[in-house]
Amino acid sequence: MTTLKLNDISYRYDKSSKNVLENINMEFESGKIYTIVGKSGAGKTTLLSVLSSLARPTGGEILLNGENVLDIDRYRFRSKYVGVIFQSFNLLTHLTAIENVILSMDISGKKFDRPKKEIALELLQKVGLDLSEANRRVLKLSGGQQQRVAIARALSYDPDFILADEPTGNLDSETQDEIIRIFRMLADEGKCVIIVTHSPEVAAVSDVTYALKKT
Amino acid sequence: MYILKNAVKSITRNKLRNILIGIIVLIISVSACVSLSIRQAAETAKADTLSSLNVTAQISFDRQKAMEEMQKNESSDNQDSQNNQSSDSNQKSFDRGKFDFGVLQGTSLSLDDYMKYTKALSSGDGYYYSGAVSLNATGDLIPYGTDETDSSTSSDSSKSSDKKSDSTQNNSDSSSQEKNAPPEMGGFGGMGGDSDGGMRGRLSRGDFSITGFSSYDAMLSLFGDDGSCKISDGKMFDESSDALECIISNELASYNNLKVGDTVTLANPSCEDETYKLKSVGIYKNSEASSTENNRFMMNDPANNIYMNYTAFSKIISASEKADNKTTDSSGNEKSAVLKDNLAFTYTFKNVDNYNTFSKKVYDLGLSDDYKVSSSDLTAYENSLRPLETLSTTAMWFFLIVLAVGGAILITLNVFSLRERKYEVGALTAIGMKKAKVAAQFVTEILIVTFAALIIGTSVGAVVSVPVTNTLLSSQIESEQSSSDKISQNFGFKNDGNSAPSMGTPPMGGHGMRSSEKSASVKYVDSISSATNLMVILKLALVGLFLTLIASLAALICIMRYEPLKILSNRS
Repeated sequence: MTTLKLNDISYRYDKSSKNVLENINMEFESGKIYTIVGKSGAGKTTLLSVLSSLARPTGGEILLNGENVLDIDRYRFRSKYVGVIFQSFNLLTHLTAIENVILSMDISGKKFDRPKKEIALELLQKVGLDLSEANRRVLKLSGGQQQRVAIARALSYDPDFILADEPTGNLDSETQDEIIRIFRMLADEGKCVIIVTHSPEVAAVSDVTYALKKT
Repeated sequence: MYILKNAVKSITRNKLRNILIGIIVLIISVSACVSLSIRQAAETAKADTLSSLNVTAQISFDRQKAMEEMQKNESSDNQDSQNNQSSDSNQKSFDRGKFDFGVLQGTSLSLDDYMKYTKALSSGDGYYYSGAVSLNATGDLIPYGTDETDSSTSSDSSKSSDKKSDSTQNNSDSSSQEKNAPPEMGGFGGMGGDSDGGMRGRLSRGDFSITGFSSYDAMLSLFGDDGSCKISDGKMFDESSDALECIISNELASYNNLKVGDTVTLANPSCEDETYKLKSVGIYKNSEASSTENNRFMMNDPANNIYMNYTAFSKIISASEKADNKTTDSSGNEKSAVLKDNLAFTYTFKNVDNYNTFSKKVYDLGLSDDYKVSSSDLTAYENSLRPLETLSTTAMWFFLIVLAVGGAILITLNVFSLRERKYEVGALTAIGMKKAKVAAQFVTEILIVTFAALIIGTSVGAVVSVPVTNTLLSSQIESEQSSSDKISQNFGFKNDGNSAPSMGTPPMGGHGMRSSEKSASVKYVDSISSATNLMVILKLALVGLFLTLIASLAALICIMRYEPLKILSNRS
């Protein structure tokens, strides 16, 4: 059982501005889907960047299985413990789908018991991409397909936490359902899935929903 | 490892940009290779010539300095005696005469002085010297080429002596004897008079120039590699024997029907009774003996040079000193007729450092500041390298300009590509790639492109550098020569390269040396054989690293300043 705990997290972009996040207390466990909802400007994306260690909180602490995440190198934390699915995917568009997945496996520095290519291909198939799509450049894939590549990439180094920022935002309802189905599958496999969204449909399928209010 | 893989992928992805960068680096590296090769060639030529260079040096009186000082004194004299204008001019000319006589006359150092300064030599250095006197012919002996010289003053005798048959020999002999009898003039149309006295040490000019050498080394300028003399009959005199043995020129020998083993009798030009018998043990052939008119007036006909060793030579001098004969000059004053040894002392050095040490130390040993140590070899060496060094300097500037312009273009190219790459930096750091690694990848990319272009450029540069250098060098030499030709023309010298004295050649010992050594035009280093060596390649590698750094500078700054959080605001 892996847990991630936020204790009194607060965050502001610079010293003079007011806090975007204030005294946030949340707890995440493996095997569950969490959604963080809130209006625009409530700090959803900011919270996600704090969770993925892209931003350091200005107050409070984040505990990973009781260990303070702030003591872990943020690049290492990002490349090993959490897989982030960005709203804009942030894939390397000139690489193929499978190259994107393999690249993040390389960056994590983790050891794999099978060839990376094999794992990557399996992951892509798992999220619904076939072989020809896997070898196509990301630039030539549709939004839904890119989303799947982003998920496969986030899963590639087998992190405990999957963070997703508006994963269904740009997708049609059919694809949205498919993506949610994938997240559910991941949670059943023992991952902790944290989804930042303003979609009530997504919130409805989650196990726990945290609502953020504007400070 | 994946960094390298990514870098290679990234290169093949951005073909156009990388080809552009490659072409620029190629241009830079070809020109850098040629420039550096030229510099290397100059260095190599310098070192090679230097190592094979036998540095020799002479100590000579600094005439220019003395003249300047004299002029200073004169002008102050002028001021002192301004109220006495009429006697002033007399006074002045008298002073000048006194100067010529006193200062220049007393300037030659004695053998003891020279030997004292040998203490300033370092190990491996050496020295040699030679002495020279002028002696007159006696008896049957006729100096070679007297006819031509005489023609201006005594047409009768010259005509008869033109014929070289035995029957006319006696006839011409007596007439030339007659001509040469007045000791002061020595048959040189007044050249041996007072006007020449300052330089020649007031000695009467004889028909023959007798030179005594301290060792065979001293004769290398005549009988060595670049010498023009060769023993054609008999043998060389013994280096150290004190027997009065000598070698004579083949012209003189055939002119007087002399053979190896014959004895020539020579007389002190100032005192006919003082004679010396020299046994000719050998006859030498001087391939440059056909003297030009120029030489004729500067010194005796080379055919009348008689060589011997210094030990024997000094016997003549000491005998003359012992005899202590006197002579009276045209104005009736009695003068000493003792033969004066005109000494030429040469120090030889293992290398230039030793020469430099010597030229400093010698003043500590008591050499007056009025004397200077100079080396004609070094001057010639420096002159010979001048075109190559000029070229080397030009190459250096060319290289720096190409590097600067190329560097600027590379920076611009990379700044333009940064927009696209910014996203890449964001995407990579967002999934946990460290900035340093991203930077390493970017640098690797540029490094690969740069070095690929550099290797091609160096190969091309290495191939073309030798012909390019030689072409540039020959045009450089042409321009050097045309400027020195112009100088010669301005001085009114003929343009055949031989008659123009090279500028800046220090005064030589004044005898025994071939005149061509004095007037030969500078022999430039005019070609190089190989230029690109390991040193050049190493330097080029440094150039490559520098270019890589320059080219990736913008990217590096961008990466290091990148805040991964920005990726979230990048919604495109």
